[in-house]
Amino acid sequence: MATDKTTDKTTIEAQRRFGRTVLLLVILGFAGVLIAGLTAVAVMLRGQEETRWVDHTYQVERQVGMIRLSLEEMRSARRGVALNLANDSGATYPDASSRFFKAIEEVGRLTIDNPVQQRRLSQIRVLGHKLDGLFIASMLSGTSITPQAEAERQDAARSVQQLSDQMLAAERLLMTTRSEAQRRGIATFYIVLAVTGALLIGVAAGSIWIIRRYTEDLRASQDALRELNGNLEGAVLERTTDLQRANEEIQRFAYIVSHDLRSPLVNVMGFTAELDAATKPLSALIDKIEESAPDLLTEAARLAVREDLPESVNFIRSSTQKMDRLINAILRLSREGRRTITPERLDLTALSTSVVDTLRHRIDELGVDVRIAPNMPAIVSDRLALEQIVANLVENAVKYLKPGRPGLVEIGATLVRNRILISIADNGRGIEPRDHERIFDLFRRSGAQDQPGEGIGLAHVRALAYRLGGTIGVESEFEKGATFKVNLPAEYAGERGAAA
Amino acid sequence: MNAHQSVNIVMIEDDEGHARLIEKNIRRAGISNDIHHFLDGTSALDYLYNSPDGPAHNGPALILLDLNLPDMSGTDILAKIKGEGPLKRTPVVVLTTTDDKIEIQRCYDLGCNVYITKPVNYESFADAIRQLGLFLSVIQVPGVPES
Repeated sequence: MATDKTTDKTTIEAQRRFGRTVLLLVILGFAGVLIAGLTAVAVMLRGQEETRWVDHTYQVERQVGMIRLSLEEMRSARRGVALNLANDSGATYPDASSRFFKAIEEVGRLTIDNPVQQRRLSQIRVLGHKLDGLFIASMLSGTSITPQAEAERQDAARSVQQLSDQMLAAERLLMTTRSEAQRRGIATFYIVLAVTGALLIGVAAGSIWIIRRYTEDLRASQDALRELNGNLEGAVLERTTDLQRANEEIQRFAYIVSHDLRSPLVNVMGFTAELDAATKPLSALIDKIEESAPDLLTEAARLAVREDLPESVNFIRSSTQKMDRLINAILRLSREGRRTITPERLDLTALSTSVVDTLRHRIDELGVDVRIAPNMPAIVSDRLALEQIVANLVENAVKYLKPGRPGLVEIGATLVRNRILISIADNGRGIEPRDHERIFDLFRRSGAQDQPGEGIGLAHVRALAYRLGGTIGVESEFEKGATFKVNLPAEYAGERGAAA
Repeated sequence: MNAHQSVNIVMIEDDEGHARLIEKNIRRAGISNDIHHFLDGTSALDYLYNSPDGPAHNGPALILLDLNLPDMSGTDILAKIKGEGPLKRTPVVVLTTTDDKIEIQRCYDLGCNVYITKPVNYESFADAIRQLGLFLSVIQVPGVPES
């Protein structure tokens, strides 16, 4: 039992641990998935940001390109004016210059967050205004272009070119840095993804491993249980066989003992009879001597023949008769134990009625009222054994009346699940509590010994009840009456069931 | 059939008291035939089959048999007597304490002629023996077949 309890405790502990571990692993798995998702979102957002920045860089590049292009347009328009091609370029210069300044403003707007670019742009702006002034001046003057002004214009244009180059280079650098960051972000994403994947695989593998181990534990404990069950059945079978063997041995023992006891008893009885027979001629002789020669007769001889001898013979005889009855009782019990039980469907009301009818003479003589409950449940059992049980109990109820109280005996039966409870209640003299168990023992009786009997009936009834796979008990209040309750299986289950 | 030969009574009984009581009652019944008493099966069988004045070689007999013997079962002796051999027609009276139905049936199956249970009540016991005495006085016992 102790090991069983320990096993139980261990099992419960293991189950609890299993539950906790699985929960932990599931939480871990979900956490991994959540982290992966969040990382993905973060990486995506950052990627969008990067893309926006790249786009921004391209816009800046385009606007810077526009600055350079429109500057070229401005220059070619001025050249066209200078070469008197006013009809096709005169109108283009203001367009180009407005585009030029618009592009500058656009770049200024785009690079508002970048002070270095802003500084360069403001230089370009200053240079642009200067160039614009120079161009317009050169176009207005038409012819007088000094080499000095020419050089100044060339310088300014080169500066704008250089500055825009610098700006482009700066933007490119920025873009490279940003792409690098983007690539790093993607790499991080992949790493996070891989780690999460590995984590998930680990969690899954761990879960599967734990579940498998748990299942194996479960199967092992089931196997153990099955084996234990088998063992239990084996143990019960073994015990039943032992009991049956012991029972058979007791019966055989009772049988042999009672037979071997009978043999010397035959001698005791026989020779007592011989003694008795011998006293007759002796007593005749004493009579004769008393008559003819009284002086020859001693008082001792006269008493021995007339009183001692017959008295002794009588005691020996009554004792041996009693012993014979006891031996016969044991013999009957042992025979009852060997009798084959033949179960059949029995109507308890009819059976009780027929049993009571066989005792009718005595019942009427004592004026006892015997009431048999109608419609008692049917039972599948041995007719003879059941008849003997009821007969013995009713006989006892009728026998041990309370003097001065009219006898009443009630026979009833109820079906409780698959057992039948037969009760035989009387209002007789009752049994003292200390005798409630004792009365079922062989040769034991209770109360005043004013009725004939050997103390065999109830022992016999109990043996029969056991034989039928049942039990018997008594409930009694002294001086108030007694109720004997026989608990029998509703359907006789065979020798094995009875023995178990 | 040899009318001049008297019938020997062979009593196989291990309890001397029983034997004495049986003998007394037989005598009281007026039977004066010789009674040969044996306390065990071995010596009884030896007498029955081998002794020159035993029933197998000399004269008819009636056997009184107790079933509870120290050295062998009475039913074995019964089976041997009633089996093939010179004594198979010899009447056998089983006189024993056993009143088990199965045992009684078995004895009759083996060929026992009368089965008497020894009653503890001496009067009925004496009666039974006296009746046996009457029975003995009227029955014709087969002799040894002339060879």
